[in-house]
Amino acid sequence: MIVNTKWLKQYTEIPFSPEELEEKLTFLGLEATIIKNPADKIGDVIISEIKEITPHPNADRLRICRVSTGTDEMDVVCGAPNVKVGQKVPLAKVGTTLPGGITLKPIKIRGVESRGMLCAEDELGLSDNHEGIMVLDENAPVGTELRDYLSANGVSFDIDLTSNRPDCASHIGVARDITLLTGKDLRIPEIEFTESDEPVRNYVDVEIVNTTGCPRYAARVICGVKVGPSPEWLVKFLTSVGLRSINNVVDAANFVLLETGHPLHTFDYRMIDGKKIVVRSAFDGEEVETLDGVRRELTKDVLLICDAKKPVAIAGIMGLANSEIKDDTTDILIESAYFDPATIRKGSKYLGLQTDASYRFERGADPEAVIYAINRLSDLVVRLAGGSVCQGVIDRYPRKIVQPEITVRFKRVNSILGIAFEPNWVAEKFIRLGCVITNRDDESITIIAPSWRPDLEREIDMIEEIVRIYGMHIVPNAKSMGIHPDFGAAGDYELIEKLRTRIANYGLYEVYNNSLVNKEFTEFGIQNFVPVKVKNPLSQDMAYLRTTLIPGLLQTAKRNLNRQNTDLPLFEFGFVQHYNPESETHAQEFQKFAILLSGYIEDKYWGYERRKADLFILKGIIQDIATQFGVREVSYKSEQHPHFDRLIMADINETQLAYFGQVSQNYLLKKWSIENPVFVLEGDISNLLQNTKTDKQYKELPVFPGIQRDISILVDLKVKVADVEKLVCNKGGVYLREVKFYDLYQRKNIDKRKKSLTFNLVFQAADRTLQDAEVDDIMVTIHKILEDELGARLR
Amino acid sequence: MNLPERVKEVQNWLKADLAKVNNTFNSVEEFRLKYVGKKGLIPALFRDFGSLDADLKREVGRNLNILKKEAEEAVGQLRERLMANSSQDEEFDYTLPGMPFNRGNLHPVTKTMNRICDIFREMGFGIEFGPEIETDFNNFQALNFPDNHPARDMQDTFFIEDDILLRTHTSPIQIRTMLKKKPPIRILAPGRVFRNEAINSRSYCVFHQVEGLYVDENVSFAELKMTIEVFTKKFFGKDVQIRFRPSYFPFTEPSAEVDVSCFICGGKGCRLCKHAGWLEIMGCGMVDPNVLEACGIDSERYTGYAFGMGPDRITLLKYGINDIRLLFEGDVRFLKQF
Repeated sequence: MIVNTKWLKQYTEIPFSPEELEEKLTFLGLEATIIKNPADKIGDVIISEIKEITPHPNADRLRICRVSTGTDEMDVVCGAPNVKVGQKVPLAKVGTTLPGGITLKPIKIRGVESRGMLCAEDELGLSDNHEGIMVLDENAPVGTELRDYLSANGVSFDIDLTSNRPDCASHIGVARDITLLTGKDLRIPEIEFTESDEPVRNYVDVEIVNTTGCPRYAARVICGVKVGPSPEWLVKFLTSVGLRSINNVVDAANFVLLETGHPLHTFDYRMIDGKKIVVRSAFDGEEVETLDGVRRELTKDVLLICDAKKPVAIAGIMGLANSEIKDDTTDILIESAYFDPATIRKGSKYLGLQTDASYRFERGADPEAVIYAINRLSDLVVRLAGGSVCQGVIDRYPRKIVQPEITVRFKRVNSILGIAFEPNWVAEKFIRLGCVITNRDDESITIIAPSWRPDLEREIDMIEEIVRIYGMHIVPNAKSMGIHPDFGAAGDYELIEKLRTRIANYGLYEVYNNSLVNKEFTEFGIQNFVPVKVKNPLSQDMAYLRTTLIPGLLQTAKRNLNRQNTDLPLFEFGFVQHYNPESETHAQEFQKFAILLSGYIEDKYWGYERRKADLFILKGIIQDIATQFGVREVSYKSEQHPHFDRLIMADINETQLAYFGQVSQNYLLKKWSIENPVFVLEGDISNLLQNTKTDKQYKELPVFPGIQRDISILVDLKVKVADVEKLVCNKGGVYLREVKFYDLYQRKNIDKRKKSLTFNLVFQAADRTLQDAEVDDIMVTIHKILEDELGARLR
Repeated sequence: MNLPERVKEVQNWLKADLAKVNNTFNSVEEFRLKYVGKKGLIPALFRDFGSLDADLKREVGRNLNILKKEAEEAVGQLRERLMANSSQDEEFDYTLPGMPFNRGNLHPVTKTMNRICDIFREMGFGIEFGPEIETDFNNFQALNFPDNHPARDMQDTFFIEDDILLRTHTSPIQIRTMLKKKPPIRILAPGRVFRNEAINSRSYCVFHQVEGLYVDENVSFAELKMTIEVFTKKFFGKDVQIRFRPSYFPFTEPSAEVDVSCFICGGKGCRLCKHAGWLEIMGCGMVDPNVLEACGIDSERYTGYAFGMGPDRITLLKYGINDIRLLFEGDVRFLKQF
C-alpha cells in the first residue's frame, strides 16, 4: 500500500518530518519505507523557458536555444528534436553536477559556445527516457529549482501491511492511526452533492440470492455524466501512489478506494438489462470475460453480480468487459457492497486473480462504510464528470454484521504485557481507535470495536492495540526468569551434534542438499520404499521427497567435478521419508547421515603420500562411530546390488546401522557421466542412538610386561582376515590380550593366488611376568591350527 | 690393517673431518653418525676390541677411549656452537608447511543453528524435534490459521494430500510439545522447513528455522523482550541495538518483529541493511490464547511467548553471502571458507 503525505495531510495534521513519520508508522505496526524520489538527487537544475531557436551555423542536427530563467538569458546548444519556442524545460547551467556525476563546464560545440544544457529525463536520473528534452507543464514556474517543483507533490511511503489491517489499506485509515500519536482530529471529507427528483428505484432494483457471500449491497445511478480525462490534481495523486489515470469516472472510483479503503465498482448503465442487479453464486462451468480481456471458467465458489439476463461482474474481484465504462458512457451505476471475506478469497484463489478490491474484501472491508463510500464517489463523479445523481440509495443489508463487545481486564493487560497501564490512558486510546465504550469500572473496560477493524474481536486483540500504541520498544525488559527441573532437556540433540562434529572431524565437509528430488533419485540403492509425492511441486525435478541421501550427494559431486573440484570428502545429515498409510501423516521419517568420498581425502603434503578415497576409509569411519557411541556388536557382510561394484552392510543385531560401498562404475558413467571412483555410505541415526551405550567402565592397567609376537602367513586369496583372527583367538589361550592385523601383501614375489597376512599378538598375564617358553608353546599350536584349517604357510 | 693402526687412522680422519663440519644441523649430525653413532666408526672399533690379544688391550684400550672422548667432545662442542648460532643454520627451512589436520567442516548454517541453540540452552530451553511432513492441524489450524484466511498466503505450501503438507515452519513442534506435555514448557524447535517459492538468489524452497516457546504462569511480554535481548547481544555482540515493532502472526498476539542494528555499518546505513540501519532477524510474540486452547492448555491460567528465526538468512547476513543457493550447492570451495 502506497500512501502520500500531501494526501494524508488532508485528513489530519502531521507534525512530523517524513523520516520521523517513517519511524513512527513502523513502530505502530505499519512498516513504512519512504519511496525515494529521484528528484531529490537532481542538482541545481532550474526551470527555464525557450525564447528563441536558431539553427547552428556549422551543424545540421544542432540548434541554438535562447533560454530564459526569468532573471537571466543565455544560449544553449541542443541536439534534441523536440524543442519548441515557449516550452518550459530543465536547464543545467555551467557548474551544475548531474545525478550521473558529470559537472558541466563551459564548452564550445562546433564553434558555438553553450552555457548550459537542456536535460532529458535520463540525464536527470528520473527515468530511462532519452527521447528528447523533458518538457514540463506550461505553468511550471520559470526560475525555480526543478527539484522543488517535482517534490511539491508530497512524500510517498510504501507500507508493508500485515494481513490483519485492511483498514490501513487507505489514506483515512493510516491518518486515523497517526492521530493515535498526535492527539489531533481526524477529518473525514463532507459530502455535498444534491440528488435529482428521479428516484433511483425507477432505474434499478437489487436482489441478493447468496446472502452469505454478500451481506450488504448498495447501488446508486448517476445520469448524464461526461467521461473524459481527469483533472491534473487527480492525475498527480494517482501517480504519487503508483496508479495510472484512465478516465474521470474510473479515476474517481480509484480515488475513493485509496481514500476510504472501500472498493467500489462502476457499470455502464446502458449495458444493465432489466433494471436489475442480482447477486448469486456462479454455476460450475459458467464462462465470463473479465475486463482484462481474459475468458474465465467459474465454479459455484465464485460470487457473481448479474443483471436480469447475464453476469456483469465477478463480485469483489473484477468487473466484466460487457459493462465497463466507455468513452461514450453517459449513465452509470455505482456498486458499493460488503462481500464475505472467505467467499472472495475462495474465488480469488480459484481464479488466481488478486486485485485491489479482492485484497481488501478478503481481509475484511468495512460493512458500515458502504453508504459513505457510495456517496463520496457520487459527489466526486458529479464534480469531475457532471451528471445528476438519482434520488436515494438502494441499500440491501440482509445479514447485519455485528461488532463484538469486548471486555478488557486491566489485570490481564498487566499479566500479558508485564507493565501496568493507566485506565484513563487506555480509554482515551480506545476512543481514538473508534471504539465505543459501553461499560467501565475499576477492573475493566468494555467496548464495541469499530466496524473497520475486523481484527478486533477478543480481549487479547485489544491488549495488542494497547502495546502497539504505547510502543513495544519502550516496554521495559523483565529482570529475570524462572527455572524448573523440566527445563533444558535436549533429547537426542547432543548425541546428534556429537555425531555431526565427529564426522566433520574425519576431514569431511557438510553439505545441505534439497529434500525435494525427482523420481529417479527415489529409486536409487538398496531400499525398496514407496516415495512421498508432492501434489503441487515447483517442477517435476522436485516432485518427491528423498528416500535416501545418496543421489543428492552424487549430484553435488557431479556439480563439483564440473567445477574442477575433484577431491570430495562430503557428508550430509537429513531426514528421508517413505510413504506409510498407517502413520498420521501417511509417511515415516528416518534421520540419516551419508558420506561421499572421491579423489584424495587429504590435501597434498610434502611430508606424506596422501590417501585416495577407498572403501576401508568408510569402514574405519563406521568402526570409529561405533566405538564413540559404545555400540559393541557391529557385524559386516558383503552384498550385491546393481548400483554398487562393492557393497558392505554394517548391522547391529540384524538391524541396519549403515551400508557403504563403491558406486558402480557403469552406473556412474551412464547416469552421472562421472569417471572417478566414488564411495558412499548411508547410516541410520535413530538405530545408532538406540544402540548407544554411555556406560563406559575403566579397565585396570596391566602391571606385568607383555610379550609380543608377529605372525606372517601365506594363505589362499579367499581366506578372510576375520577367519584367521577367530582361529588365533581360539587357540591363543587366556593370556592372549590382543590380535592386530597389520599387513597385507599380494602378488610380487609370491604365488598369484596367495596373499600374505601379518598379525601382531600380545600375550600378558595379570599376576606375573610371562616366560618366553610359555608363549612359544602357544605359538606352536596357533601355527598348527592355521596350517590345518586354512592351509596357511608360515613365512 | 690391525686395530692399533685403524685407531690411528680414525683419529686422523676425525681431525680432518672436524675441520670440515659446517654449522648446520645436518652437517653436525652427519659427523656424529659417522664417528659415534651406533653404526659409526668408533663403536665398530670397540666391537673389534673384544677379540684383541690381551697384551695389546691395555694400550689400544687407552687410545680408543681417548679417541671416543675426543669424538664425543667434538660433537658436544659442535652442538653447542650450533645452538649458540642456530639462526645461522641456513639450510633449515622453517617455512615448510605443517601437517594439514582436520580439513572437514560443519555447514555454515549448522554452525549458526548450533550457536543459536547453545545460547538458548544456557537460558534453560530444551530441544524438541518434529517431522517434516505434517498435518494441516499442526501446521495451520492449531496455530490459529483458519481455513481460507489470508494469513495462509504468507506461507506458500507444498501439499502431499489435502490435509497433509510439508511443514512451512517449525511451529508444529510447539503444538506437538504442548499436546504431550503440561506447562511449564521451555523449548527450542530447530529444523528444516519448506515453502513453495520459486528458487532465486533470495529464496529457496527449503530452508531452516529455530523457534522457541515458553509457557508457564505469568509469562509476560516484558520477559520475552528480556530473553530476545539476551540472545541478540550474545549472538551479534554487546554493542548491537535491538528494536521491537508490532507485526502480525496468527499464532501470537501481540506479535512483533525484532530488528538489530546493522552489524556492518552500526546503523548508519549500508548495502547490507539496504540503508535502513536495521536488519530484520526474527518474529516473536505472546502465544495466542487460541493456540493454547487448541492444545488443551488453560489460557487464563497460562501465558507464554514464542519466537522464530531463520538461520539461513542470519548466515547470509553474517558472512556477507549474497546468494542463498550457495548454501545448497555443496561447492567445496565455498564450504572450506567457514
